[in-house]
Amino acid sequence: MLTISNLQAAVEGKEILKGIDLQINKGEVHAIMGPNGSGKSTLAAVLAGREDYEITGGSVTFEGEDLLEMAPEERAQAGIFLAFQYPVEIPGVSNTNFLRAAVNEVRKARGLEPMEPKDFLTTIREKAALMEIDQTMMSRSVNEGFSGGEKKRNEIFQMAMLDPKLAVLDETDSGLDIDALKIVATGVNKLRSPERAFVVITHYQRLLDHIVPDFVHVLYKGRIVKSGGKELAHELEAKGYDWIKAEFAEEIAS
Amino acid sequence: MTMSAETLDLKDKCILDFQSLEASLNGQSKTPFHAVRKQAIERFAELGFPTIRNEEWKYTNLMPALKAEYVLSHGLQSQVLKTTLTAKDVAPFLVPSMKANVLVFVNDSYAPELSTIITTLNGVTVSSFAEALQRSPELVQKHFARHAAFENDALAALNTAFAHNGAFVGIAEGVVVEEPFHLVFVNDARRNAVLSQPRNLFLLGANAEATIVESYHTIGSHQGFMNVVGEVMLEENAVLHHYKLQNDAENSTFVGATQVHQEASSVFNSVVISLAGGIIRNNLNTMLAGKATDTHFYGLYMVGGKTLVDNHTLADHAMPHCTSNELYKGILDDRSIGVFNGKIMVRQDAQKTLAYQSNRNILLSPNATMNTKPQLEIFADDVKCSHGATSGQLDGDALFYLRARGLSRERAQALLLYAFAGEVIEKIRIEALREYVDTIIAARLHQEELKAA
Repeated sequence: MLTISNLQAAVEGKEILKGIDLQINKGEVHAIMGPNGSGKSTLAAVLAGREDYEITGGSVTFEGEDLLEMAPEERAQAGIFLAFQYPVEIPGVSNTNFLRAAVNEVRKARGLEPMEPKDFLTTIREKAALMEIDQTMMSRSVNEGFSGGEKKRNEIFQMAMLDPKLAVLDETDSGLDIDALKIVATGVNKLRSPERAFVVITHYQRLLDHIVPDFVHVLYKGRIVKSGGKELAHELEAKGYDWIKAEFAEEIAS
Repeated sequence: MTMSAETLDLKDKCILDFQSLEASLNGQSKTPFHAVRKQAIERFAELGFPTIRNEEWKYTNLMPALKAEYVLSHGLQSQVLKTTLTAKDVAPFLVPSMKANVLVFVNDSYAPELSTIITTLNGVTVSSFAEALQRSPELVQKHFARHAAFENDALAALNTAFAHNGAFVGIAEGVVVEEPFHLVFVNDARRNAVLSQPRNLFLLGANAEATIVESYHTIGSHQGFMNVVGEVMLEENAVLHHYKLQNDAENSTFVGATQVHQEASSVFNSVVISLAGGIIRNNLNTMLAGKATDTHFYGLYMVGGKTLVDNHTLADHAMPHCTSNELYKGILDDRSIGVFNGKIMVRQDAQKTLAYQSNRNILLSPNATMNTKPQLEIFADDVKCSHGATSGQLDGDALFYLRARGLSRERAQALLLYAFAGEVIEKIRIEALREYVDTIIAARLHQEELKAA
């Protein structure tokens, strides 16, 4: 589904990603872990098409298409969803209007008619209940005045509405208490399917207790330095990132 | 200082027209009313039309607009302006489904045959300014040019000199009028360029409440110049909701001054919406002359082409415990130019003043410009005042967020602009008017489907 080959990216001339290789097939859940500043969020932003980053090398293909050639909206329309680490507040744009526009754009790209208003409202109600999102939140402006937990739940709710093929969760667990974390994880787990893949980016292992990954990768200084099964997450939790830093410091420096 | 020959032409023409107007007056030339007009033309003759060397007109160059061969709506050639407009011609200027008193003025003469008065309440007087002057000369003279000073304002002086036509709205003490008064000012420039100068007077007695909508329009392809002065008197506890709607043709030049006098506990809510035109200059001044008044200035200008929109506002706090709150927002495209000059004056006695001002602008084109200047002059010590001005592009993070959800760049931008404008639109209290403005903006942004939501 997604093939990342030797991906290199820089921001303001500073190289952040130094050659990432990753293969993600449908139905798989990949966790990407790593210490702060290792390039996790940059990877998420590059996959979503954020223009602040300069691609300095490598390639990314999504279902055979050159992802890096696509505009952010084309990526979303093709089925990539990024759950933001810091969802943006958009005063004056109601959640409902925003979602209607987004859902219909994505449907249009798939050759579908705009959703009937009645169906749209039914779907909203159904998915909102899943994420324990209050109906009053729907009429409020996008993320405006939402608590940290509400913002993250809103991200997963949007994901449920947009029905992506590949979802990238960028530190969705950050700033969440355990109850909110469980709601988010339950929502994600309900969306797991043999057709859908996930990239779960996190600093901590605790999210992975709830969203159990098939693969765990450790990103350090812009490279994937270790890959394994879910047990790798536990190992990291037990030993901390210093273990990785010690092991790879020399190699990276060279 | 040198002036172009053309400027002298229009100035001289105005002075000449005044003389002929005066010659045609019989006994009326001895009235105190006319004495004020005479002072005004003398002052205009001294000041002349403002050039960009005048600090108040630094960014707004009227000179090109003064070059047309205007027929003045008063004096020598006024008979040329006899209009043949029909209800069909003015129908596009009405606000659909707004149940209102509609007063139509063509080349600033009141056109009763095109107007509809629906309010039948006692204590409501609505007529042309000329009729009010004839009926209640003392009342009109008591307020005429008492609020709108022309000492340093050539255009106000010019308007005052020719004050005759325009609207009079008088609401007696304690009367609350539900239906808005929609004043529709039309320049009929089909046969020649027109300079019209409506003069308005709105008097609200104690505890009275009213809503006034003013809109300005040009018909025809010749130049239209409209120089409006409105004086507003709000007695104790009176409430006026005032709207200005400007969606005019490129061949129009508009200069309008609204001078408000607020007595204690009165409320003045103003929303100024400028969507199109050639040159638009709005002067909005309120004198907070009584305690505990409440003033809201809201403005939205959303223009493209070569339109120039210049808003000058003044909240003059003379008494304690008054609140003024101002929010002007601009969206400028193409080669359009925006000017915002917002002054807050807090005089020595105006303790416990709350005065807020904000001017926010989005420039959609590298060729659009915005000149913004907040001015605070504070002479009292126990006050809360704030001001802020921003000019820039749309929020990049918000744009990316929307695009990452599948919205095209154009769509995302339109959605954000619609929301940006919405903050001012929502201040319009008349639902039909709000819908009307909202529809225009949504259509301009191709956002009809979102509006329907």
